[in-house]
Amino acid sequence: MISKENFKKITDYLWEYQKTGQMNVPARIYVNERMLDKVFKDKSVEQLINTASLPGIVNFSMAMPDIHEGYGFPIGGVAAMDAEKGVISPGGVGYDINCGMKLLKSELSEKDILSNLVKLATEIQREVPSGLGRGRQVKLSIEELDKILKHGAKKLVEDEYGEKEDIENCESNGYIEEADPEAVSSHAKNRGRDQVGTLGSGNHFLEIQKVEEVFDEETARKFGLFKNQITVMIHTGSRGFGHQIATDYIQIMMKAMAKYNISLPDRELACVPFQSPEGQRYFRAMSAGANYAWANRQMIAHYVRKAWREILGPSTGSGLKAVYDVAHNIAKLEKHKVNGEEKELIVHRKGATRAFPEQPVLIPGSMGTASYVLIGTEAGKDSWYSTCHGAGRTMSRHAAARSLSPQEIISQLKAKRILVKCYSLRGIAEEAPQAYKNIDEVVEIVHQAGLSKKVARLKPLAVIKGE
Amino acid sequence: MEKYKILEHPSDVKIQASGETKEELFLNAALGMNAILKPKILDYKSETRKIKVKSADVDALLVDFLSEILYLIQTNKEVYDNIEFSKFSDTELEGALIGSKTDSFNEDIKGVTYHDLKIKQKNGLYEVVVLFDV
Repeated sequence: MISKENFKKITDYLWEYQKTGQMNVPARIYVNERMLDKVFKDKSVEQLINTASLPGIVNFSMAMPDIHEGYGFPIGGVAAMDAEKGVISPGGVGYDINCGMKLLKSELSEKDILSNLVKLATEIQREVPSGLGRGRQVKLSIEELDKILKHGAKKLVEDEYGEKEDIENCESNGYIEEADPEAVSSHAKNRGRDQVGTLGSGNHFLEIQKVEEVFDEETARKFGLFKNQITVMIHTGSRGFGHQIATDYIQIMMKAMAKYNISLPDRELACVPFQSPEGQRYFRAMSAGANYAWANRQMIAHYVRKAWREILGPSTGSGLKAVYDVAHNIAKLEKHKVNGEEKELIVHRKGATRAFPEQPVLIPGSMGTASYVLIGTEAGKDSWYSTCHGAGRTMSRHAAARSLSPQEIISQLKAKRILVKCYSLRGIAEEAPQAYKNIDEVVEIVHQAGLSKKVARLKPLAVIKGE
Repeated sequence: MEKYKILEHPSDVKIQASGETKEELFLNAALGMNAILKPKILDYKSETRKIKVKSADVDALLVDFLSEILYLIQTNKEVYDNIEFSKFSDTELEGALIGSKTDSFNEDIKGVTYHDLKIKQKNGLYEVVVLFDV
């Protein structure tokens, strides 16, 4: 039984589990002592230790403070493999390939939109369907879809569903070049044809927010953020398209693993050498999934802008500009220094956000709690420039829905002057703030540990959820 | 015998399904998956879809079978409440799914996982726990 006693304190915010048994490297968790006590209540630490046994893993298997139990890898996990000798694992990316965040900023302050808030939230909800049946349904041809898979958000901006700043202010400029539609099954394409511009369900959301507090004036100015400013945040991923790619390749890798003599403590870590035909094919398919997600968030931004103009009229300044767009479920080919030498690594971030120095980092809170804008720092190099991705659940959806009444949650949020728009009352109960870790504490740890620094806190004014 | 029940999980949804035969177990697991999706049925005119799955073992066959049904549910906007198997072994199945058109769903399932999945026989009943990533 693993407990706190097995962990060595490196700093107040970093704990290490020594290499034992099948592990190739030690495991590390970025948490404070109080949170460390709590991480043992699910299987996430065991999963983190199992991840350390993956072939070709470099330095450490790592977990961010929002760690919780996932599929194979823990959620909040970061693992980099040597691109020559290491493996790639769909479990290290997750079912929702390039689930991530997009933040738009306006030139307006809270007082400018308060009287129109309900109308604006209603119009956004109407314009951005969940994709589970209600609302707009557009079915792309396979040829149109393939172009999106190849060029992601860039393709949509070329087709006038956005402006060039949208892709300038986006991780990888909105597409990964290695993406190949040929590596994607027809099942995945069919699931993806009618879901570009849809929000999905679960913890995915759209929020109208205000900048509640600025921690770093200079950086906030650089990002174009100021106190009381209205922002819009989008949280979603690659929808059924990415889910099917994960399903397909987990199946393929489970069969292929024996061929490469890979044996692991948990079969959910299914992986193959990155340089193998199956590994390369998954990387190309996953990249197509990532491109789909960037296009999805771009299309949603387009419809949010349409709703914004519709309700607030042309006198709303230059509308909504992109602050940034960043993934938190992805595997990226990146160059990093390992023992003083530059190496190509395949960095798996599952429920972890890329935080390159000077890059804006977007961290969503749970429904009705604050979200954060952070900035990546040079000190983040030990975690391959990665940081947390959100609050992290502490209560099951089922338990949340049973113990908390949706009406009670809506009135609690109303008391905090937060409007909720959701078709499903159960969806509200499942995502109640009480079901999550405290986002302020999670962000404080990555700030103190130096993985990324606080720039601003965003308070929701209206939450629009899928189902 | 309860066909299926929904169990606790910190971030996802689990079901436990039972059946007197493996065929019945597979059907009840599919019904459990429907219960998670909470579909709004449009009309009860029966829709029929063919299904054919091949896998390495019976556990993988169940995962692949549910994944295939999930695909058919989401792309055809239908739910299936009955299955007529024309072929069924531990590694291969074929049959027809019978169901209805839906208007919408109240929940989304991302994927059917292999998490701790093992079909077991207990007191003459087949049982399995399936974790869905939602």
